[in-house]
Amino acid sequence: MTQPRFLRSARIAAAGLAVGAMLLTGCAATVNKSAGTDAGANANAFLTIPREDMSTFDRNFNPFAPTVNPMVQQAIYEPLMVFNPAKGNTVPWLGASWDAAKDGKSVAFTLRDGVKWSDGQPFVADDVAYTFQLQKKLKGGFEYLDSVTPAGTDKVTFTFNKPWSPALYEIGQLPILPKHIWSSIADPAKDTNANPVGTGPYTQVDSFQSQSFVLKKNPNYWQPDKQKIAGIKMLAMSGNDAANLASVNGDVDWSTQFIPNIEKTFIAKDKDHRHFWFPPTGAMINWQLNTSKAPFNDATVRKALSMAVDRDQVTKIGMSGYATPADCTGLSGNYASWKNADVANNCTWTKLNVDEANKMLDAAGYPKGTDGKRTLKDGKPFEFKISVGASSSDWLSVANVISQNLQAIGVTAKVDSPDWASVVSGYEQGTFDTGIVWSANDPSPFKYFSSTMGTSTVKPVGAKATENYHRFGDPKADDLLQQFAAAGDEAAQKGIANQLQAEYNAVAPTVPLFSGPEWGDYTDVHFTGWPTQDNPYATLSDRSPTTVLVLTTLEPRK
Amino acid sequence: MRFILRRLGFYLIAFWASITLNFLLPRFMPGDPVSRMFARTQGKMQPEQIEALRKMLGVDTRPLWEQYVDYMHNILTGQMGVSISRFPTPVTEVIASQIGWTLLLGGTALVFAAIIGNLLGILAAWRRGGAIDSALPPLLIFIGSFPYFWLAMGALYLFGVVLGWFPIRHAFTDGLEPAFTWEFIGDVGAHLVLPALTIVLVSIGGWMLGMRNTMIATNAEDYITMAEAKGLRPGRVMLRYAARNAMLPSVTSFGMSLGFVVGGAMLTEVVFAYPGVGYQLLNAVQGLDYPLMQGLFLTITAAVLLANFLVDILYVRLDPRVRSN
Repeated sequence: MTQPRFLRSARIAAAGLAVGAMLLTGCAATVNKSAGTDAGANANAFLTIPREDMSTFDRNFNPFAPTVNPMVQQAIYEPLMVFNPAKGNTVPWLGASWDAAKDGKSVAFTLRDGVKWSDGQPFVADDVAYTFQLQKKLKGGFEYLDSVTPAGTDKVTFTFNKPWSPALYEIGQLPILPKHIWSSIADPAKDTNANPVGTGPYTQVDSFQSQSFVLKKNPNYWQPDKQKIAGIKMLAMSGNDAANLASVNGDVDWSTQFIPNIEKTFIAKDKDHRHFWFPPTGAMINWQLNTSKAPFNDATVRKALSMAVDRDQVTKIGMSGYATPADCTGLSGNYASWKNADVANNCTWTKLNVDEANKMLDAAGYPKGTDGKRTLKDGKPFEFKISVGASSSDWLSVANVISQNLQAIGVTAKVDSPDWASVVSGYEQGTFDTGIVWSANDPSPFKYFSSTMGTSTVKPVGAKATENYHRFGDPKADDLLQQFAAAGDEAAQKGIANQLQAEYNAVAPTVPLFSGPEWGDYTDVHFTGWPTQDNPYATLSDRSPTTVLVLTTLEPRK
Repeated sequence: MRFILRRLGFYLIAFWASITLNFLLPRFMPGDPVSRMFARTQGKMQPEQIEALRKMLGVDTRPLWEQYVDYMHNILTGQMGVSISRFPTPVTEVIASQIGWTLLLGGTALVFAAIIGNLLGILAAWRRGGAIDSALPPLLIFIGSFPYFWLAMGALYLFGVVLGWFPIRHAFTDGLEPAFTWEFIGDVGAHLVLPALTIVLVSIGGWMLGMRNTMIATNAEDYITMAEAKGLRPGRVMLRYAARNAMLPSVTSFGMSLGFVVGGAMLTEVVFAYPGVGYQLLNAVQGLDYPLMQGLFLTITAAVLLANFLVDILYVRLDPRVRSN
């Protein structure tokens, strides 16, 4: 979603041009590719995927690289488990089963039998222990992790220094590396790992160029019957426009970049084969109000502002109808199975209600003047900025809709859109008024709540914050979060998550706007078996943990 | 010789000023590469990892002057560090792998634009008021006033997507192994046509007008009348007498453009996903990749200054008046 300003105008120009050309040609759009429906060719075809955010590839298959190459953590290395947000289920992967201790202080994994690395060596518990050691050393995180103890070749136990049940998913989803390769690499942070050895379905790097590369079948894969495609071909693209062109032209099979007006620009060209699916399983997108500033420190004000926002308009106009409006649990569609139905059904402050919002602000002491504009308690006008990065055109129009909505309650909100770098630096320092902000997205809602209302994530203004930009801490939420971390089983966690949502509903730490969609579109001209709304075995993301599920399900069209 | 030495001194000062600017500008931009990266992944990165990443990438928190001393030392010893957005590839390697494509694209476009533009200019001035002179300049100026990327997108859409005559992205077909075979060279050529064509179309008007105007001035000189009076063939008078003397400003602009070839085709490269340094620069700026930005700016600056210096030397040879100064 981040592109520089001139590219945005370039995109507008291109859109205009495209529309003009379509009118001229009488919308005589034709599909250039028809040769692919031949079964023999499909069996040898590569699954082609563009990367709109990588202009060039380096032959660097090091998973620790800050901008990791595509498919390294999806097709080459595999995790112990895969969490699928589309269905809310967990698929055992390299870990066959696991057992979380009742006190929340450890998790034991039993590894799958018969898994081999692509060089033929067996996959063992030592590999898992070594991977975590290396990860902690090079990239940090996992502060709760005390030790990782392998027992035999197929058991490994993770012990924590405090009760920490959210660890299960974080540990479970880290891709595992082979110890016998990595322990002999001199500088694992900088090694390019040009010929990776992994347990994944497609590990063999082939015809590597700076513009494209191919991954071919792992000869020793543990589910050989699921390697039905000949290989994966990645294309380097210089931005959304180039990638969209490739998608529209039918040059690629699967893409996840933003396509404006997808029905007309993409689907209509080949209705039988082209499909898209945008499940609301992305991060919750919030309108964050800097609670270190008045009047945003007042929960009534936050709720009143929220009630003035027309979320249907926000998602329809701002997000082209691709997103789903939020409710007052604050949870996105990623956490559908965690939602407190009571809170969700009796929502007040995330529904449009201008009269009520006006009444609440009147009662809270923010009077409306004769000119219809409200003032703050110190008599200054009720005015503030909404910051959004200039390049995110969709969020920019979200901010514009909000700004218009707020006029109805006498509040003036100016949209401020410099470059993302300066927007983010305002968030980090706590100097911003309000902004449109993404949020943590994890299998369990723990991180989301800890970063929206836990006191441990609150940094003083001026100190660099990496989460909880709005600087809101609630001791009551802290209590619940602690209980959540110590809960041994999911039923207990769900009970506490219900209370967390009730607390969220009471204090309104941020203004939730909509569940971010997980973009994805494909053509089944060459390959079939894609995840869909009716068969949500994964999302259509090509860069998330569920991607490996898609790669092991697709098969060439016969 | 003294002239050249004096110019050389001037270039050294210009070089120092520009590399100092290269150092300062990125550091005045808000944010740092790691928080930028964090913001780009929009919540997919763990906040706890940020510190470790800063350390790994070597994000500098020392006082500015210490960094500056280090930076100058590195530049003088030819060390440009490691790219952050393409970590851990060294900056020199990133630039080396891409500058060839940029030179090919920019160089081809420049040579074609300059040759065709100058020839048209000569013809237009020679037959003043003729068909070429009255029709071409306004048309070319009209085309030239389009932004590069707009024309590039138009060409891409019309010739690439609708008509399907030319490939629409990259420098050669994906999966083809680079080699000195006719197949590969032909493929590169086909991929070069559209991006080069858009640059030629946009810049040709400038060349033509410049040449036409100096030619008109030259045509009024006495020695042209003299040559014609002597009964020399018109073609010879046009090329040997008039054009040759009117060439000087064109040589200057050619030299200047030569320097800008390195950074000039950026937007065209972006539109065609052409693997040159231009798109890399955009990427570096977006990711606040200081080392790569500095490396690229340095390369561009050096190319511009070098080209100017060469033009200066060439001038000494072409124009005697410069020597006597």
